[in-house]
Amino acid sequence: MLNQLKTAKDLGTPGIFLSLTRIPLTERLIVGSSDAKLYEYDFAAEKTEALAYGEGHASYVTGVAWTTGGIVSGAYDGKVIWWDMTTRQAIRTVDAHAKWVRRVHASPDGKIVVSIADDMLAKVWDAESGKLLHTLGGHEPITPHHYPSMLYAAAFSPDGKLLATGDKVGHIVIWNVDTGAKVTTVESPGMYTWDPKQRRHSIGGIRSLAFSRDGKTLAVGGVGNIGNIDHLDGPARVELFDWQAAKSLKVLEDNKFKGLVEQLWFSPNDQWLVTSGGDNNGFVTIYDVATQQIPHQEKGHQHIHAMVGSESGNKIFTAHHGRLIAWSLTTDSATA
Amino acid sequence: MTHRSYFCGSPDHGVSRRGFLGTAAAASAFAADMTHLDVLQTPLFASEVKKQQKHVILLWLAGGASQLETWDPKPGAPTGGPFRAINTSVPGVAISELMPKLAARMEHTAIVRSLNTRNADHGGGALMMETGRAVDQGIPCPDLGAMIAHELGRADSPVPDYVSMYSSTEGRRKGGSGFLGSRYAPMFLAEQTIPENIRRLEAVSDIDHQQRQELRTFLAKRFANGRMDNTVASQNMAYERVRGLMTSEKLFDVEQEPAEMRAKYGPTQFGEQCLIARRLVEAGVPFVKVARAWWDSHGQNFETHLELVTELDHVMSTLIDDLKDRGLLEHTLIITLGEFGRTPGINASLGRDHFASAWSSSLSGCGIKGGAVWGKTDEDGHKVIDGEVKAGDLFATVFEALGVDHKREFHIGARPIPITDFGCGPIKSILA
Repeated sequence: MLNQLKTAKDLGTPGIFLSLTRIPLTERLIVGSSDAKLYEYDFAAEKTEALAYGEGHASYVTGVAWTTGGIVSGAYDGKVIWWDMTTRQAIRTVDAHAKWVRRVHASPDGKIVVSIADDMLAKVWDAESGKLLHTLGGHEPITPHHYPSMLYAAAFSPDGKLLATGDKVGHIVIWNVDTGAKVTTVESPGMYTWDPKQRRHSIGGIRSLAFSRDGKTLAVGGVGNIGNIDHLDGPARVELFDWQAAKSLKVLEDNKFKGLVEQLWFSPNDQWLVTSGGDNNGFVTIYDVATQQIPHQEKGHQHIHAMVGSESGNKIFTAHHGRLIAWSLTTDSATA
Repeated sequence: MTHRSYFCGSPDHGVSRRGFLGTAAAASAFAADMTHLDVLQTPLFASEVKKQQKHVILLWLAGGASQLETWDPKPGAPTGGPFRAINTSVPGVAISELMPKLAARMEHTAIVRSLNTRNADHGGGALMMETGRAVDQGIPCPDLGAMIAHELGRADSPVPDYVSMYSSTEGRRKGGSGFLGSRYAPMFLAEQTIPENIRRLEAVSDIDHQQRQELRTFLAKRFANGRMDNTVASQNMAYERVRGLMTSEKLFDVEQEPAEMRAKYGPTQFGEQCLIARRLVEAGVPFVKVARAWWDSHGQNFETHLELVTELDHVMSTLIDDLKDRGLLEHTLIITLGEFGRTPGINASLGRDHFASAWSSSLSGCGIKGGAVWGKTDEDGHKVIDGEVKAGDLFATVFEALGVDHKREFHIGARPIPITDFGCGPIKSILA
């Protein structure tokens, strides 16, 4: 039973931290920032300092992932850059996308990396050689209301064989990573709010995806229907799917801590689903996967844009608007 | 009476009194049936109508568009947001990358980057930017549309002088003619794009309607014969005006446009409304306001602007091209304006909030020196550092661009009320 979620380390930062990865088996975090830079922080060090990466990007760094070929980042400048983790200098720069790169994710073994962007393409790369393996379409560039769509979210399955991509209007495609073939599609339209009368534009979209550790369930994160789309004043929304049957299993909406579910993370034993995001304020909300109840949730310092968990599942790290936080998760068994 | 010029300043656009009267007569004939728009294809007629009339299309960006994501980008600044600045067709002038089509047409547009209007409340800011007045005059003041309708409208016009479209419900404001009276109030279109209640009653047949009109005209002429009475003339004019409005229904119907033209404007409501605005201007309406609501992006500013600025860029560029192709751009002033801009600071929802201290507007077409940029904000966009502009200054510039003396006065009884707010004047360097 989860009985504690508390801040273990809290670091104020000057910028908006939009993306986050962790070097395996360490607490070395690499964040992507609104100042077009990457920074490394070692949370295990007695004194945690920012180590800046070199020049490379020209806009918000919205994706960063540890891979066996180095750190890979993506930004709103459309570039995907490989970085040497020791020198923190760029070793390969690719003009990968015609529009904003929204996220970069690595497969669980770190050998494959995917970049997704508002050109509505997911590009699958060999993390070590930088070779482009697949270019995956499958998402419409224009919404049903005639505005540009966005490709916000992606996730690898735990075995690395599948990739899910999710867009603004709630369309999800599951891909075979080896072949680049489309496996199936899933729809979660409740993540997209179009206001046809009051404000006449849209908000929302699928902002996060995660496969359960057993690979059977796909969790989809975003925000539910918003009345006043000037703000992120809608329920933090998670929809769980039996993706193989393309069947919605459950919609979880939280109105206590509202806004976008930017991140989803299944604990190692699939016991908990940790979600984070927010409106102006941030939140970390933990669902018990079996009961779908919330055993614990905490308000975070401002909006949380990115989150990673530790191998053991007893720590998560969150990147905020102006803050970087390590949280400890403890269970009855751990404290007994 | 203050001299009023109706021309953009070029000698090519001068027109003789005889020519003007001839055109007026033609316009009266035109009034008989406004549905036959192809009459504008007659070169001589079209050219004369175009020469004598100036127009405004106000694109009202309701809720407050971000100057940083449109006309005054600050790439690289902490406040700049993620969008780049791009070069335009005018060397040295850069605007947001969200407006590539307008960037390619920058030679038609002047930018004002230094509005400091000090009122970041929706209602108060809107009232100020609608009327151009920062100071309460103690009486309801006319908005820009009503003042332009008063200045540029023709007494014998069969079409409305002022049409205002505001379809979204958030922040919807009708505008008003204030002390100028209901004659200059807008024909206001909210839920529908075609005016209600201007159709002939079903119970009255077309022939019956026509015969009633002929009988009324016959009786009116006989009654007026030998009577030099303004009231009689006014009464007849009002009837003609109603008759004109009744036959103007098709002006509001985009289905009347070729599919190719509709496709150019695109499928959005804003695109359709701007196409209607062009049709209205072409038919002689002096002032058309198209409100595009709602820009109030407290959360997800960049996502919202990706949608709305992309649409603005496409639709406004199409409008510029369309007016230019028809020879109307030099007689039509397109304005982008809202109640305020948005904060340089980016909040935790990646939003921008209300901001009236350093924001932007644009003026394209008639009377404007295209490519000109007026005013400057500091490197983060927090304040105006050069060429501060008040609402009244912008309005004075609009008046002068249209050939209306910005110093002229209205009179409410013995009380003079200047058309331009006290202490304000035009930005001469962006006038042609």
